[in-house]
Amino acid sequence: MIGGVARIFDNLLGRGEAAVTVPPLDGALRPNRRLDEATSRTPLEHVDCLAVHGDALLASAGDSIFVRGGDSDWNKRKSYGSEIACMTAIGAEGLAIALNTGEILIEGGRFDGRQYRADDSATCVTAIAASGTLLYIANGSSTNRPAEWQRDLLERNASGTIWRIDLDSGAATKLADGLAWPAGVAIDRDGLVFSEAWKHQLVRIDLSRPEQRQVLYADLPAYPGRIAVAGDGYWLALFAPRSQLVEFVLREPAYRTRMMAEVPQPFWVAPNLRSGRSFYESLQGGGVKHLGMLKPWAPTMSAGFCVKLDRSFQPRSSLQSRADGRTHGITSVIEHQGQVFAASRGDGVIVSLAATDPAVGSGGEA
Amino acid sequence: MTSILELRNGTKEYRSVPAVKDVTFTLHRGEVHALLGENGAGKSTLTKMLAGVVAPTSGEILLDGQKVEFATPSEALKRGIAMVYQETSLVPSLTVAQNIYLTDQKRFHRLRGIYIAGQQFLQSLNFHVDPTAMVSALGAGQKQMVEIARAVHHNAQVIIFDEPTATLTPEEKHQFFSLVERLKARGVSIIFISHALEEALQISDRITVMRDGQHVVTDVTSAFDREKIVRAMVGRSLTDELYGSRKNREARPAGEKVLSVQNLSMGNAVRNTSFSAFAGQITGVFGLIGSGRTEAAKVVAGVLKRDLFHGGQVRLNGRSVRYRVPRPAVRDGIIYVTEDRKIEGFFETMSIAENIYLGAMAGGRAKSSTVSMGEMKALAMEWIAALNVKAPNGDARVIELSGGNQQKIVVAKALVQKPKLIIFDEPTRGVDVGAIAEIHQLIGRLADDGIAVIVISSYLPEILQLSDRILVCRQGRIVEEFDGGKTDEETIMYAAVH
Repeated sequence: MIGGVARIFDNLLGRGEAAVTVPPLDGALRPNRRLDEATSRTPLEHVDCLAVHGDALLASAGDSIFVRGGDSDWNKRKSYGSEIACMTAIGAEGLAIALNTGEILIEGGRFDGRQYRADDSATCVTAIAASGTLLYIANGSSTNRPAEWQRDLLERNASGTIWRIDLDSGAATKLADGLAWPAGVAIDRDGLVFSEAWKHQLVRIDLSRPEQRQVLYADLPAYPGRIAVAGDGYWLALFAPRSQLVEFVLREPAYRTRMMAEVPQPFWVAPNLRSGRSFYESLQGGGVKHLGMLKPWAPTMSAGFCVKLDRSFQPRSSLQSRADGRTHGITSVIEHQGQVFAASRGDGVIVSLAATDPAVGSGGEA
Repeated sequence: MTSILELRNGTKEYRSVPAVKDVTFTLHRGEVHALLGENGAGKSTLTKMLAGVVAPTSGEILLDGQKVEFATPSEALKRGIAMVYQETSLVPSLTVAQNIYLTDQKRFHRLRGIYIAGQQFLQSLNFHVDPTAMVSALGAGQKQMVEIARAVHHNAQVIIFDEPTATLTPEEKHQFFSLVERLKARGVSIIFISHALEEALQISDRITVMRDGQHVVTDVTSAFDREKIVRAMVGRSLTDELYGSRKNREARPAGEKVLSVQNLSMGNAVRNTSFSAFAGQITGVFGLIGSGRTEAAKVVAGVLKRDLFHGGQVRLNGRSVRYRVPRPAVRDGIIYVTEDRKIEGFFETMSIAENIYLGAMAGGRAKSSTVSMGEMKALAMEWIAALNVKAPNGDARVIELSGGNQQKIVVAKALVQKPKLIIFDEPTRGVDVGAIAEIHQLIGRLADDGIAVIVISSYLPEILQLSDRILVCRQGRIVEEFDGGKTDEETIMYAAVH
């Protein structure tokens, strides 16, 4: 009763859980331009997910998979007829490719040619991770497709699920549900860790008792996505920044409903993989520009973020592209042959930095 | 040069304990004489003897070569010796002009008359203070100016300044130094007590250093440098211990995020500010006075309240917290160690043991629910030993201790509450150099033990020496962050003022 009254007052005064705030970018997340300063930048339109398959580095873009050539160019390896949602290596030879339809194809290795599906409702696969003969799948939403992630956020959905598929038997088991857009999965010694984008947190579940969840890191300043194993920890891609404006809009259901019904999607007040391309967008004028120049510290709907996590999933360093940068919407980060590769879907480019660079904060390849 | 004021073989004892022992001190006409020493070195007692506040136990005072005895400070003032105290002696309920003309021997003062005269007088000193303003409404710097103006008004030939710049902003300090130059040009002799050694080197003609109530050395300023002064003050070299650069030293790695301040607002003092503090790290916060550092820290600790509407959010270990009073903050492990220890830090009439025990009780850490004298004494002795407090026992009153030892008691009172996050606001203000090193080591040990530590300081060498990461505050918000070992004073100062 008292809690309910307190919540009413909190909503009225904008405080407590109703406070329209975002966490600061400081400590390991201090603003920097390392993604923009990367020496190697290779364009690849619609790039989304990166994976290491044997000695090859693969990138998915649209319905195709590309492989990085010796001259650092990206060469098309294969097309699948349907947009690729994500992919991951299975052991040294296998590759699991999830399509937007929810189907998961296996190429190479023991299970070559097999197809799996977690569930009929699992049509929004955002990330997969393999451990032995088990495949762990994050399904972002039961009502929206991967491309509709902004709608899922604005609907304040929490219908995501985590599945486990036994590659031998094909049996699928639901490990967790009611999740707010799980967008990344990783397996460590203590269980499965997933990123829950709309709750801005990293959560661990014990695989023997999946109902038990432990928040490892809460209140991230951006929406967390895919997780990849690094030499001495993990890389976390955060695909869009949080902003006070969006946090405010998320507390206004009537406004959101009307906006989604009446305003074209590119101009919604919502985080984006790339913003600032149209004057119809919500953040304009002196708030973001000074003498015609976009301010690096301006409030923005898009930015570039990758965070290096230690083995206990605490941030150690970050690679960023600020409001005026050109490497926004990072959807995947991976280490390969002493380099850190980041896929910028917002700007259609893959950048790479030396993993040994102290600023990158990585201890080398796994 | 002729001497205007002299103390010959002066000794002052309190309850047979000498505070000043057989000191001979000479002030030349028209000179600025810096008097330096650790807290408890006897500087204040020496100057109080000269200003008639206390009478020497033995020895004699000579003014213009004539032996004098002052029974009261007003007698000394009549003879042209004025003292400007660290804690101002103004009447807060009177206006600035009334305070300046308060002791003038006149049956009636016309308010209009003293306001006009006060205005002209303050302008002649280049002090921008409204003579009609109530003293209680003035800031520390302006109060200091009124105090100085009052001394000048009495045509003092000798002015003793006790820590005059401790509460002044850089701009006010600049004004103060130019005032000292003007006073000197008028033939006024000045005794200048300060802990800021650079200031003493900058404005004084001669320097006297005291230690343990005894005279150590007197010489012209050009014969000193910082290292020499410190060695004379403490009997050993402390420069590296005190303000050695952190360069090439490993910063402590950040632990879990203990505190996350998000878009915090409080009037014009704190404006939409955001920062974090991590376990096992010292987060230094640098900013000029008025930049909102203290206010933000006080909101975190529940001493001040944030804006009612959309005042932002404070998260402790990921949980949103809002404190209306400090008590629940203390219970949750947030401790704020005040910059104004005499007003907010301890109960001056109580003993060391009582003060520390009160801290334990406030934090809910006392073992018994009722007051236990045994526990109180044991706690006091434990902390006196742990922090190396120079006091005979736990029954000594805190007010009787030197500034550094008082600060240690304030810290002990905080640590006994077993904090998760401890905020030190100007931890070494008014503390002597020997105690500064000890307090710095203590702060370092707290971080090593995994406590999240925030140090707010206006003194850049201190920030650079202590901090693993440095936040710069300007106009009510955090504007820049630096790695402790990878920046310098110029860079930080540039961020603080531009």
